[in-house]
Amino acid sequence: MGIIPYIVVSCVLFVCGIIVMIARKNIIGILLGIELVLNAAALNFVTFTKFNNLNLDGHIFALFIILVAAAEAAVGLAIVIRFFQVRESVHIDSATQLQS
Amino acid sequence: MFLVIIFSLSAFLAVAGALSVTFSKNLIHACVYLLFSLVGVAGLYLTLGAEFVAATQLVVYVGGVVVLLLFAIMLTGGTNLHHVTSRFGLESTPLMGNLRTYLMGVVTAVLLVVVLCNVLQGSMTGALVSENKFSSTVEQIGVKLLTDHILAFEISSVLLLGALVGAAIIARPHRSSESEN
Amino acid sequence: MEYSLLTILPIVLLPFFAFVLNAFIVKKFTKTAVALSCVAIFIPFLMALRIFADFVFNKYSADYYIHKTFTWFDLSAGTQIFKVQMGIYLDNMSAVMLLMVTGVAFLIHLFSTYYMHDDARYGRFFVYLSLFTSAMLGLVLSDNLFSVFIFWELMGFCSYSLIGFYYEKEGAGNASIKAFMTTRVGDVFFLLGIVALWSTVGSVSYVEIYKAIAESSLSSPVFLFGFGIPLATFAGFCIFMGTIGKSAQFPLQVWLPDAMFGPTPCSALIHAATMVAAGVYLSLRMYPLMDAGGLLEFIAYIGGITALGAATIALVQTDIKAVLAYSTISQLGYMVLGIGVGAYNASLMHLITHAVFKACLFLSAGSVIHALHDHHTHAPVQEMPRMGGLRKKLPYTFLAMLFCTLAISGVPLFSAFVSKDRILGDALLMATHSSTYIIPAILGLCGAFLTPFYMFRMMFLTFFGEPRDVELNKHAHHEHFSFNRNLPLLILSVFTLGFWYSGSLTGQGELKVFPESKYEWFQVLVEKPDLNKFLGRTSTPLAVPESKEFIEHSHYDPNHGITSEEEAHHVHLVHRVGAIASVVIALSAIFLAYCMYISKKFSPAWWTSNFARWTKALQNRYYFDHLYIDILIKRLLHPLNNLLAWIDMGLYDRYAVDGWERVLAFSYSVARWFDNIIIDSVLVDGSGISVRFFNIVLRTIQNGKIQFYFLVLLFVLASYVLAFKPVI
Repeated sequence: MGIIPYIVVSCVLFVCGIIVMIARKNIIGILLGIELVLNAAALNFVTFTKFNNLNLDGHIFALFIILVAAAEAAVGLAIVIRFFQVRESVHIDSATQLQS
Repeated sequence: MFLVIIFSLSAFLAVAGALSVTFSKNLIHACVYLLFSLVGVAGLYLTLGAEFVAATQLVVYVGGVVVLLLFAIMLTGGTNLHHVTSRFGLESTPLMGNLRTYLMGVVTAVLLVVVLCNVLQGSMTGALVSENKFSSTVEQIGVKLLTDHILAFEISSVLLLGALVGAAIIARPHRSSESEN
Repeated sequence: MEYSLLTILPIVLLPFFAFVLNAFIVKKFTKTAVALSCVAIFIPFLMALRIFADFVFNKYSADYYIHKTFTWFDLSAGTQIFKVQMGIYLDNMSAVMLLMVTGVAFLIHLFSTYYMHDDARYGRFFVYLSLFTSAMLGLVLSDNLFSVFIFWELMGFCSYSLIGFYYEKEGAGNASIKAFMTTRVGDVFFLLGIVALWSTVGSVSYVEIYKAIAESSLSSPVFLFGFGIPLATFAGFCIFMGTIGKSAQFPLQVWLPDAMFGPTPCSALIHAATMVAAGVYLSLRMYPLMDAGGLLEFIAYIGGITALGAATIALVQTDIKAVLAYSTISQLGYMVLGIGVGAYNASLMHLITHAVFKACLFLSAGSVIHALHDHHTHAPVQEMPRMGGLRKKLPYTFLAMLFCTLAISGVPLFSAFVSKDRILGDALLMATHSSTYIIPAILGLCGAFLTPFYMFRMMFLTFFGEPRDVELNKHAHHEHFSFNRNLPLLILSVFTLGFWYSGSLTGQGELKVFPESKYEWFQVLVEKPDLNKFLGRTSTPLAVPESKEFIEHSHYDPNHGITSEEEAHHVHLVHRVGAIASVVIALSAIFLAYCMYISKKFSPAWWTSNFARWTKALQNRYYFDHLYIDILIKRLLHPLNNLLAWIDMGLYDRYAVDGWERVLAFSYSVARWFDNIIIDSVLVDGSGISVRFFNIVLRTIQNGKIQFYFLVLLFVLASYVLAFKPVI
């Protein structure tokens, strides 16, 4: 198969994820982008396990990525819901309390 | 041959899904497209011989995370749509950003491509180590998890616990915050 | 006797201490101060007498001198030698001068106790007198031109103070300043001469200068305005200018008549006997310099012109002191003439004899003035037209004055005949040798005719005839013999007799009164310095007493060193002719005066009316005052002064000094601009503005938008990656 297609795919996924993170104004939309980025990274790991190294460390790492992504999605969404309860909005620009 | 077909299908699914997530205006649609993209990634895992990872991906990610996202979208009213026409004729969906944002996105995309190419330059010559000698990885992964990576395994359980409890606490509805314990 | 510090220095220091002490005590203890002054001059007189006796009775030769020095300050460094030495130089001439100065000064001090005792500033007079005597004695004793100059100036100051002593009198202040300024002109040249000598010879002591002349190192030229003048001529001329100023020679004689504003004893001491003689003394000391410079003819001319000119002006004076003043100028002219014709010894002798009889004349005039008091103005009377017939009232004064007038007229048997005749004889001798000396000789002879005339005119107008102002005469007190009024006069008049100075009537060895050449003591005392004798000797330090190994004894040589018989005969012939001529001239002049003023055969009025323009010129003192004041000062110096003042104030002050104001204003504006623009606007306001700017910038960065932070993060990471890895 060659490694390049897998790398291309993972790059495309990664870039799309970044764009989603930048362009969307809904907090949950940004979380979508984060999921994409994580997936791209996991794909990269597994790819390189297959092509460079067969000791399955990449698989394990991909598992952990999935795990962490899930935990993070749960907590993140809890925060978003809380935020919605307080702010009555999920627009990213209403979360500017760090503004100097 | 079979591999190529599966790969192209999965790759197409993944990329199309990602692009659709990027460019779709409706958030729910974006969520569903994400689901498709994740399925495609699972398919790619399969072609790479990581069946346990693919299965885990389907179960956890697709079945859990995306559903969670959907629930959150429903709970936060993200489907409100009032169309506002922006300055350049671009139909500006609220929560979708304006031209400036997309421009930044393009610039960022280009930049990232350049960066990624720089980074991955040396590694693109990696050759296929083994050619499709199908072997079950589940057992190996299990063994590895409990011997080499036992620490991460245990800590991840703590992490999950924490996430569980934390999420529950954070998202609990507060009627009156003074009457909490 | 031993010549050490103790026997020489008190001569100068005692009057100086008296001056210092009196300056403090004179107001309260006037009588004590006066007595102190008199004592302070008497003791030096005794010491001078002792020195004189030692020098003269032991017949030291004219070359013998005692030279003691001490170093005043020494600024030498490395090869540059700058050593200023002061010291004492004693030889026969100094001894005689010392005796004369101390003696005359003491007698004048005595007389002043009578003359000034009514005055309100009685004590102050003696303060000045003490200072003056110390300065004069210092000058006589000093061995180098520099200390001579110091004492010279000190005497000038005393003269200024004493002329202006009666400062209430209108004109006294002007007269004192005029005296000071006129002598100043001479002193500037004197100083220039000192500097010229110092720069070439390296020292200004007499001995060094004589040595330098003997080694002919002073014939090197000094270049002045493009002409090369031998240094000896230049320095000699400059030093002689000092003499011209101080001794009131032509053309700087204008101050001495005005100096008569001072009290009469001051006139006697300063302007007759001692200070004006200091100029002649200086020229005598510097004679070898002037000889080497070839200035002697010039000196003779100056002397002759002065002698005759002053004598002519004295003809028309009516103030008794003015007559004496002009006669002083005239006699000083004779001394200078004597220097010019080479009559070294005769000049000195005339200086001494003149001091004696002129002091006596002035003191007698003072006695006369004091006796006559105008009842209306209560001022003493000095005008001769108001006097007359005082012979009976003032017998002692008359006697003293008669002696002195006979002396000054050059009548044989009196002192000045000897000296003046010798001068005239030498003048005639030089006239026979070279034609340039003819005019000075003629001038001298004419002066010798006029001098007795105007002196006896003064005598006749004052003491003889009928009193012209009867009331004044009536109130004149008859003179009693008092020790401080008459005794000084009589003592001085005794010393105007001729036998004290020379054993022969003519002073040339002719007509010996006393046998044996031993009475030509004065002539062997002093000679023109033989420069070669100075080459070997060095000075001894002041504290070391003098040893007496090298004393030569003097011998009187009637031929004065001339070896050839013919020349000696010629000399004696000329001197004899001169002697006879001067006697004839003097007696005829006295006779003329007698005819004019006693027997009234000729009338002076005829002369004044026929020579009215001459009379007017004489009365205006040959318009010298007009020349100096109106033409020189008003037409020349005042515009020059104004020009210089304009340069200073109009140009220099305006541009160089006030111009700085512009510079300062400019720099102030620069500073102000700096302060306003740079400090205030740029730094102070600018810091605020920059803070605000960065605030705006950073505010944008810190906008709290998560996506913005994320974007920045991405860009930074990308830049890290791209910076260290080449772009594909």
